[in-house]
Amino acid sequence: MEWSIETVEGATIGCPQGRVDEESWELFLARMNETILAAAAAGHRFVLDLARLDYMSSRGLRALTIAKREADVHGVPMALARPNDRLREILAISRYDKIFPVTASRDVAD
Amino acid sequence: MLVRFWGTRGSLPVAARAATIERKVARALVAAGGRTFADEDEALAYIAAESDFAAARTYGGATTCVEIEGGDGSFVICDMGSGLRELGVDAFARCAAGKPREFHFFLSHLHWDHIMGFPFFGPAFDPNARIVIHAGHADAEEALRRQQEEISFPVPFDGLRAAIEFRTLVPDHTYEIGGLKVRTIPQYHSHTSYAYRFEDGDKAVCFSTDAEHRVDDMDNERLFEAFFRDADLCICDTMYSLAESVTMKADWGHSSNIVAVDLCQAAGARRLALFHHEPTYSDEDIERMHRETIRFEELNRGERPKLEVLCAYDGLEVAL
Repeated sequence: MEWSIETVEGATIGCPQGRVDEESWELFLARMNETILAAAAAGHRFVLDLARLDYMSSRGLRALTIAKREADVHGVPMALARPNDRLREILAISRYDKIFPVTASRDVAD
Repeated sequence: MLVRFWGTRGSLPVAARAATIERKVARALVAAGGRTFADEDEALAYIAAESDFAAARTYGGATTCVEIEGGDGSFVICDMGSGLRELGVDAFARCAAGKPREFHFFLSHLHWDHIMGFPFFGPAFDPNARIVIHAGHADAEEALRRQQEEISFPVPFDGLRAAIEFRTLVPDHTYEIGGLKVRTIPQYHSHTSYAYRFEDGDKAVCFSTDAEHRVDDMDNERLFEAFFRDADLCICDTMYSLAESVTMKADWGHSSNIVAVDLCQAAGARRLALFHHEPTYSDEDIERMHRETIRFEELNRGERPKLEVLCAYDGLEVAL
């Protein structure tokens, strides 16, 4: 899994790329937590841009929960943006779309 | 091996109300579209061909009780939920036909819904029956005696006529019981619960109910992947959605369909039985969860072999 960060007005955007699975979920979580801290320092919201993520196992989904707890501790709103069709379906089956805002565009994720 | 599900509901027995049955009958009549049936068998064949399970059937409402046939022919029974009463009635008929009156119970844990069937288990009153109760808990006998104290039940435990003994099992040990190889592993649940793995020759069944796989201890799942390794059937706690299990119902000691699929796929298991259904779920809710789990398995499979996803119901039999 690769990770990059972008900043736009009011938002720090984490951009994972590749796969989040049994081997990479801990790195995924560490990168999210670092980015949440950066968002908190900047007074931004945190947007996880899923557009270039090919696969996410249930451990990746559950890492999102841990990251959300970290975001809540720091008062950082967290949203998921641009999941591919497959991931959008998994977010619905797991009901994660009930606990995270999920948007088709990074711009409207707040 | 043959696995029979006598009770599949979690937490509390439930029963379909009159309005639920009326609705099923009405929908079946509408679906039949005026078709006529010569007799009941023809009508049953029509229903059997109906793909929508919830339309004409129910998943049932008895709490946890699963029978595993195999080994030396003695009864092997996981948990004593309310489904045990009916198993007891059926056991009398099988014993009358010559089956040995030897019963090996394996208790996941001692919560009410997992032991409430024992005071109604007919063979416990049979002086010719032998009952061995295996548990990871050293206080299993205390729990069973306590639920038959006078304040809770009219017949005391000592009024049971069968020869009853208790054995405490420990993890990391393989036992030979009832002609099966048996192992156990502790699970996260209030007062701890235990999963069991039963092997008969080259066949294996894992029974893992009332098990939470916590987000803050995901490394622990490697133990379960090893425990489920290459099993022919894994019976797993799928009481909640993943979102529920990590938010408002975190620490409630239960798991989700998503985690069950992940564990079974990683373990190379052949079949998963969704189990310990939420008591507030209707048949339609459970069927929807089954459909979604089949779809998730497909989405999550990658290059791995297909994992068959079954949805347990009271009366289901799975031959391995």
